[in-house]
Amino acid sequence: MMLIASAFGQLALAHYLLLSGVLFVIGMVGFLSRRNLIVMFLCTELMFQAAAIAFVAVGRYYYDFSGQVFVIFILTVAAAEAALALALVVLLFRRKPTLNAEDWRDLSE
Amino acid sequence: MILPSLIQVLTLGVSETAMLVPHADTEPVATSDVVVATQHWWAGFILYLPLISLILCGLCAAMKVKTKLPAWITTACLLGSFVFSLLLYFDYGGSPELIPILSWINLNDAGGNFAGFSANFTLYVDSLSLLWVMFVTGLGTLITYYASEYMEADLGKGYTRFFAGVSVFLFAMVALVLADNLLMLYLGWEGVGFASYWLIGYYYQRPSAVAAAKKAFIMNRIGDLGLALAIYLIWTTFGTIQYDELIDVLRNGSWKEAYEGWTIDAIPWFLMLAAFGKSAQIPLYVWLPDAMEGPTPVSALIHAATMVTAGIYLVARTYEFFLLSPESLHVVAWIGGITALVAATIGLAQYDIKRIMAYSTVSQLGFMFLGLGVLTTYGAAYHVFTHAFFKAVLFLTCGAIMHGFAGQLDLRKLSGLIRIPGWRITSIAMLIGCLALAGFPLTSGYFSKDAILAEAFISQGPGFEALGWIAIFTAFLTAYYTFRVWFRVCAGKVEYEPGDEHHGDDDHGHHGGSFHPHAPRFAMNFVMAVIAIGALVAAVPYFLDTKADDALTGGWVADMVHDSTAQGGLPGLDRHGQSIGDPVEHGHDVHHGDGDHAHPTILGMDPHMAMYIISGVVGGLGLLLAAWLHLFRRQDADRLKAALQRHWWIAWLPRAMERKWYVDEVYHGLIRAPLWVASHLMYAFDRFLIDGLLVDGIARIPRMIARWFQPLHNGIVQSYAVTMAGGLALIALLMILFIQFWKVGGGG
Amino acid sequence: MIWGWILLLLPIAGALGVVGSSARAAKSVALLTTLATFGVSIAAAIEFKVWGSGDFGLVSSIPWLSEVGINLSIGADSVAMMLVLLTTLLMPLAVLGSWTAVSERLKEYYGWLLLIEAAMIGVFLARDLVFFYICFEFTLVPMYFLIAIYGGSGRARACIKFFLYTFTGSLIALVGFLYVAWCYAESTGTWDFEIATLCTFAATELSLGQQLWVLVALVIGFAVKIPLFPVHTWLPLAHTEAPTAGSVILAGVLLKLGTYGIFRFVLPMTPDAVVEWAPILGILAIIGILYAGLICWVQTDVKKLVAYSSVSHLGFCVLGLFALNPLGLQGAVLYMINHGLSTGALFFLVGMMYERYHTRDMNSIGGLAKRMPIWAFFMVFFVLASVGLPGLNGFVSEFLCLIGTFAAGESGSYPGVLGPWFAAFAALGMIVAAMYLLIMVGKIVFGALKEPVNEDHHDLPADLSPREIIVLAPLAVLCVLLGIQPGIAMDAMDGSINETLAVYPDIVKGAIQQVTDAGSTVLRGGMNQ
Repeated sequence: MMLIASAFGQLALAHYLLLSGVLFVIGMVGFLSRRNLIVMFLCTELMFQAAAIAFVAVGRYYYDFSGQVFVIFILTVAAAEAALALALVVLLFRRKPTLNAEDWRDLSE
Repeated sequence: MILPSLIQVLTLGVSETAMLVPHADTEPVATSDVVVATQHWWAGFILYLPLISLILCGLCAAMKVKTKLPAWITTACLLGSFVFSLLLYFDYGGSPELIPILSWINLNDAGGNFAGFSANFTLYVDSLSLLWVMFVTGLGTLITYYASEYMEADLGKGYTRFFAGVSVFLFAMVALVLADNLLMLYLGWEGVGFASYWLIGYYYQRPSAVAAAKKAFIMNRIGDLGLALAIYLIWTTFGTIQYDELIDVLRNGSWKEAYEGWTIDAIPWFLMLAAFGKSAQIPLYVWLPDAMEGPTPVSALIHAATMVTAGIYLVARTYEFFLLSPESLHVVAWIGGITALVAATIGLAQYDIKRIMAYSTVSQLGFMFLGLGVLTTYGAAYHVFTHAFFKAVLFLTCGAIMHGFAGQLDLRKLSGLIRIPGWRITSIAMLIGCLALAGFPLTSGYFSKDAILAEAFISQGPGFEALGWIAIFTAFLTAYYTFRVWFRVCAGKVEYEPGDEHHGDDDHGHHGGSFHPHAPRFAMNFVMAVIAIGALVAAVPYFLDTKADDALTGGWVADMVHDSTAQGGLPGLDRHGQSIGDPVEHGHDVHHGDGDHAHPTILGMDPHMAMYIISGVVGGLGLLLAAWLHLFRRQDADRLKAALQRHWWIAWLPRAMERKWYVDEVYHGLIRAPLWVASHLMYAFDRFLIDGLLVDGIARIPRMIARWFQPLHNGIVQSYAVTMAGGLALIALLMILFIQFWKVGGGG
Repeated sequence: MIWGWILLLLPIAGALGVVGSSARAAKSVALLTTLATFGVSIAAAIEFKVWGSGDFGLVSSIPWLSEVGINLSIGADSVAMMLVLLTTLLMPLAVLGSWTAVSERLKEYYGWLLLIEAAMIGVFLARDLVFFYICFEFTLVPMYFLIAIYGGSGRARACIKFFLYTFTGSLIALVGFLYVAWCYAESTGTWDFEIATLCTFAATELSLGQQLWVLVALVIGFAVKIPLFPVHTWLPLAHTEAPTAGSVILAGVLLKLGTYGIFRFVLPMTPDAVVEWAPILGILAIIGILYAGLICWVQTDVKKLVAYSSVSHLGFCVLGLFALNPLGLQGAVLYMINHGLSTGALFFLVGMMYERYHTRDMNSIGGLAKRMPIWAFFMVFFVLASVGLPGLNGFVSEFLCLIGTFAAGESGSYPGVLGPWFAAFAALGMIVAAMYLLIMVGKIVFGALKEPVNEDHHDLPADLSPREIIVLAPLAVLCVLLGIQPGIAMDAMDGSINETLAVYPDIVKGAIQQVTDAGSTVLRGGMNQ
């Protein structure tokens, strides 16, 4: 409780980490609870951004730019991955007109 | 800029070869009396000409020449070789010469860490190699000329291949004989084996020929293994494999300074293995009779006159090693003697005249080894020399018969050839060969065989006297089976049956019912006559005493062996370290020559004189027996055989002799079959145990582990995510716990 | 210098060109590229000024991950340069050899061929460990696809086994490499992956125990490649299923990566451990020679026979490597080249036969000398080269390996830890080799003509076409040349070999001294002089 109390007093590292954590949990819950592939994919993006925020915050905290460098990496990878993933989703949809993740169980075979 | 560098790269290593001296820092150093004779550079042509002939034959094959051109090319080239070797002989100064040709394998001394190595194509010319190279090229030329007619049925088919093979053989044989180091000798050694493989398998569509060729090569390989190991041993012991250096070191005894070990005693045994393989001695002789599958000129040239004497040459060449461990010489003598006897007994019972000749070759080679073993290198060399002529003529006449009678070789189905027009030269040439082989008095074989036999009684060794009597008995058998052939085939009344071989030309006319043998024409008759005369004249060198050195008996051949590496085996000369049990002592003469030793005697006579008489008598007896059984009363021979076979206690003897004492069967049972089974077991082991159990087994482990976790992979993305998140949470929890614990532990 | 880079990049560019061109032009592009690469390698060999010395030529370096000591640095000593020449020579022949044999998915096929050429050249040119390893592993990928797409009926299993087996081995070697690099970083504080640096470091700084572990890791990795008994079982399978060109490259060059690895890494990196372990490796090599030789004897598939004969032959090579003297090492390096020439040619020949008859079964085919005299000539020729007939190349290398092994007694002019017994047993391989190869020749080349009925229509002539003769002729010429003038190669590689061996005599003598001091008996086959 001390952590949250101080958080409202001053914008500190903990605030950013808290935001990152909340974002990550939202993304994860969304990923676990939803069935639509695109929405699930969006949720993974959320988790990504959560990690990115944590990186920037910690980097700023230690005055180390590696954190920001990594964010740029993450953004690049996320962009590439988004393109690929969406393309895959489109391909899947062409094959069977559904976006429900459970309908694609046979992909594990 | 590129071009000169290119030349530099391409000539790297060749640059040295451009010089006549092989390698900058391995220039042959002339030791003691050996000279580097660059003025005899043309001696290289003895070696080059067969090679040129091979290349030209290759061209002929490529251009599909259908004439006798390859034969003429080969004959001309070999004649050139012969002329050059004669020139070399007449220009030979009396002390061994080194003639550099080309560099081969050289390693520099690596900064003192390791010793260097060198083996080059350099010719070593001494009287021994001259003796060999002259009869090899001479007989090679003649037999090639003979083959030009003999092989004509194959014109346009295998004709070129045949002469290419002969060229390869001559090249390899000359390399073997003229080599200045053991590695070049090895090149020739395997080369002749390969040529023999090539030519035995000449009729490659005949399974028996292919099998015989294969057998010859593999059996020879066993001998080659011995030679290879001997080379390694000599190299590690002496640091050189060049004859001149080796002989020098061995004769001046300097190797003994830093030497302790066993290698020196092992060397002759491996050399012996090599020699026995190539020269078809027990236990490696079985390939030679099968080698008769090749065309007859090949049998005459390779399997009688030249290649099979390479073993004798090797032992003569490395005689100093044998003198250092006398036990090895005793074994050589005994193996030689026993081979002579066994092969002769097999020869008695064969019907195929070519095979009889083959066994008689094995037997005569046994005599030569006996000679080497009882310390008479000159006797052995002389027998090689005379044998080359008379055995060549015997084979060539067999070939003529085979050629004329459509492959008929069974002596029961041929008779009275001398009475058929056109066959007189063949029959007389064969008679001369038979007389010499039987050791009939005053023929060449008589003198050379006596030189060996007498020495068996003179030299001291374990059971040498018994060996001498065995050899005399063998000489009797030899005379008998030799004339069995001649009386059956050439004498008696005219009777013949053709063989079943179709030469391809139709002038046999046996399709029409009546068969006309076609007699040899000029080339074959000429060659048979010349070699037969040679077989007669080969007795003359025995009386030529060129050196006028009365300590030296044996004439010209003894001269030739003298001053060579084999001089340790000459009578009346200072021998090196031959006294038994003490290889260190020099100049200790165990037998006659100096006059101060008591001569051993046979039946109270001088051994040489006694031998002249005994072997003459024995040869005559054999001849008479053969005349009785195979000329005058042929039915007695069959009756005798039937009588023998009636009694169970003796019946096995002729049968075993006919079946070659079951040696092939023993080999098959003891070596080939077990190995074959072992190979199959190994293959099964490889497939099922190593590959199946170990490799695939290990590869199966991950799959088995995966199977335990398979239920987790249900294909629902969310369940994966839950697992992941759960795992993450678990790890985080563990980390926190760990940190806490660590902190507490650290704090407490 | 620029030549090295051209050598590396030209095949890659060619591969791109092949992919970009039409399927019809693919083989011409590939042929031109491989020929050009061969030309460049000749030019590089000319620019390569350090023949005969132990130095590196064609040295060049591009910074890559310089912070951790990884650079794209290339260069070759004379041994590596020889192997580059072998590679670039075999490639155009491999392309020509598959001219008619491969008829579908041409672009991919020739693309993979060119990529594997680049990877192999990279292995020999690498002076940086990471670069070496990348190339070393990358050779697997094209070969995997060559077998998987263009192979025989059992290709699926063969390619997976080939890939996983050799990949696992290489990973173990990687662990060894990384351990050495890590030790270096520990002791100097900086990372460096320069091969020469690491070798010197490992040889001088690591303790015997550490070296032993490194040796074990590296030898496992390279032994799988060679392949040494008992990790050889992937080879017969891969060879039998691979397309002809694949087999040729596999036998000609890829197997040499293993022996080259031992020459380049094991011998310089872990000399103390090598002296300790050479007898064991020697025994494995001898078992391989005899065991694989006898297995050859009972094969009925010609290609499998030749594949097993590779196992047998490379045993000689390994033996030569661990003889630890110039004779053995020269023999071993020559063996790499010679085996590439003669066995490569044998695979070509078997492929040519297979193209015509669609069988490799020795029992259903025979007497081909009648039908295909030129083919028979080459077959017998290369079999003889393989058997080690003096005058041809195989003999020189086999002889040097064996005499090197024989002379590697404990003392004397060639200090070493093998000795006469090793050589004597290995020499039995000469007889076995003659046995199985001649029996094979006797069955398929000689004897009565026996041809299987071949329904498939092919437009090949009965005997070899000029194209096929062009494939074989250069190999035959080289076999003869290296047989009578091995000095061309031996003098050129003298320096590198002596450099590699410079440390050994003292180590061997030291080790022997230790053993005699301790009075213990160790597994040694030396002459107890």
